[in-house]
Amino acid sequence: MVIVEEGLQGVRFFEFLTEEEREEFAEGSEPAAFDAGEMIIEEGRDPGSLFVLISGSVEVSKRVSGGGDLLLARIDAAEGRTVVGERGLLGESGASATVRAAGPVEAINIPRETFRRMVSEGRPAAFKLSYRIARTLARRLTRLDEEVVEAIRELESRGETDLEAFRDKLITDWAI
Amino acid sequence: MQGMPSLRDVPFFRHLNDDEREELEELLEPAAFEAGETIFEEGGPEDRLYVITLGTVEVHKAVIAGRRQHLATVEAPTIVGEMGLLTEPRATASVQARTPVEAYGIDRDRFLEMLDADAPAACKVVYEIGRTLAGRMARTDESIAGIIAHLERAGADYFTDFEIFQDRLIREWSF
Repeated sequence: MVIVEEGLQGVRFFEFLTEEEREEFAEGSEPAAFDAGEMIIEEGRDPGSLFVLISGSVEVSKRVSGGGDLLLARIDAAEGRTVVGERGLLGESGASATVRAAGPVEAINIPRETFRRMVSEGRPAAFKLSYRIARTLARRLTRLDEEVVEAIRELESRGETDLEAFRDKLITDWAI
Repeated sequence: MQGMPSLRDVPFFRHLNDDEREELEELLEPAAFEAGETIFEEGGPEDRLYVITLGTVEVHKAVIAGRRQHLATVEAPTIVGEMGLLTEPRATASVQARTPVEAYGIDRDRFLEMLDADAPAACKVVYEIGRTLAGRMARTDESIAGIIAHLERAGADYFTDFEIFQDRLIREWSF
């Protein structure tokens, strides 16, 4: 079982926090384990938590029209502990993609209630994390916009399109 | 122009207490724009944040050379320039006053200094901006999902509906 305090160390997303601040998050968090094939975040549903992936790998996929799933990304915690579901801490909308355990996965669940409580208590750690998430979202939005503009220009100028290439371009920067 | 700046009515500032509001008010520089005047020029500098307290602004972008696409019309109270604050200080779209506009400018560098010093006032404003961006991101994802679905359905015939999905693509622009 993952020890939460240790789990938050060495995660790039939490690097900018002091040790004490990481502990504040750890106190309101809980370990989570998923079996192969189990859903961690479900597309269309409010995830309500940020998950720090400690070990194992996950697949990010998106439903496409006409049925079937499109694999957007594969994330392996062995290449660095990382987070999914960060948007859910700030907003309440449904996830735009599904995150599924590809094998056994160990994670830390930071519930939105923990985060919101820290915000209402005016804790700097929560605001530092908001700043970090806001910057991530802003960059992603800017890149998405650029890609979309690029795609429109391409479509317009070519008068014909390679649908496959166009589609891939649009989904390279999907937010979870 | 009104005397003391009041941030109370601006949603982004609603969680500030009186001390924090005062701290932020020290950074405010009153600004006024006439109808038609440009606040940000696409591709130009975006080195300030504007808190718009009166009036309406319009957002445009030159998506295709020679064609300005209308992206949004935003009414006071609101802020513009928040993307420049969080990314690069370069405007990705043009913002223009549609009516006479009264606003307060906040210097980007000074605001970032406050943030880096973990000043609660700046942190709380960014939390609110972040919440807005989260919503915007969710809608952008939906729009793009719609486009992809459309492309897949339409196949070779998509050009007949080109304008419709182009509109959908850009409805949820960031600025």
